[in-house]
Amino acid sequence: MMADGAGKMFGEDRLTRQIESHGEAELQEIAALEEKLQSCVGVETGPFLAWDRVNRPMIRHWCEAMGDQNPAYSDPAVAAKIGAPQGTVIAPPTMMQAWTMTGFSGQHPPGSDTREQNPAMACFAEHGYLAVVATNCEQEYMQPVFEGDSLSGHATIEAVSGRKTTALGVGYFVTQLTEYRNQRDEIVGTMRFRILNYRPALPV
Amino acid sequence: MNSVDFSRIEVGDRLPELSINITAKLITGAAIASRDYQNVHHDQDAARALGSPNIFMNILTTNGFVGRYVTDWTGPSGVLKTVSIRLGSPNYPGNPMVMNGEVVSKDDTDRSVKLKVTGKNTIGDHVIGDVVVRLV
Repeated sequence: MMADGAGKMFGEDRLTRQIESHGEAELQEIAALEEKLQSCVGVETGPFLAWDRVNRPMIRHWCEAMGDQNPAYSDPAVAAKIGAPQGTVIAPPTMMQAWTMTGFSGQHPPGSDTREQNPAMACFAEHGYLAVVATNCEQEYMQPVFEGDSLSGHATIEAVSGRKTTALGVGYFVTQLTEYRNQRDEIVGTMRFRILNYRPALPV
Repeated sequence: MNSVDFSRIEVGDRLPELSINITAKLITGAAIASRDYQNVHHDQDAARALGSPNIFMNILTTNGFVGRYVTDWTGPSGVLKTVSIRLGSPNYPGNPMVMNGEVVSKDDTDRSVKLKVTGKNTIGDHVIGDVVVRLV
């Protein structure tokens, strides 16, 4: 991996193309995987609920780790100036994705869709593509998220790339769009997330 | 905290450079604060088995730093509208990330500013981002 330069690890624009040679059985397996992956495109899953309402302790932990001292995230008087209801703070917009993450348990809370949020993951696991890295994230914020809000997400796989040889290993880029809503079913933001599911080239 | 005056912002303005000391504590602490328990963000052996020389920063944390970098500059009147990032060289412990940003356009109709933000480590660009922030 390091031979390609560690700086060229992620991202489709940084691919190092190599020729793969496959036997017949392998080609069939690849075709089977790719068929399953394409069947995941366009499938909407959700809602995936948040374990916790938007709350000040979790915001504080986030800000502490990121070194973010923006008072809009800690002081209701400052948050009120940018529209927060009385007595509440604003959540860092970039924290949007964190609220509906499964966390330590790996489980979404009761009431969530019981299907996998990303149905392609199971296909990849079945075929031995066990590693994942995120390469792109586009977030758009339609309205602020306030303390007390209850967020949920709906996700759709928009695209699965062709088979790619990257410095990390052979795999596929998966683009998923997630729409986040609050307790009033208003869209607070969207996220287009791109990951690479791959088979590691070689352990280092 | 800093506070920029929208009327004085000009295309080409540069944000003050910010250097982030990347430690194992930061990578794991921020991953947990973002509720991301993927083993590559806290378990070095697991990271190596998956082809990475060390644990590395998760994308949610990178997002957090890009957002923070911009609102450190605007002050609390800055409301983020979009944060769009792509990742390059991973952030590993011991390799600081240096962030820079520049105003690329300005929209008077909604008092928003578009910025290009980069975060570099010694390997290369960790992150290249486009951010739109509105001054309320």
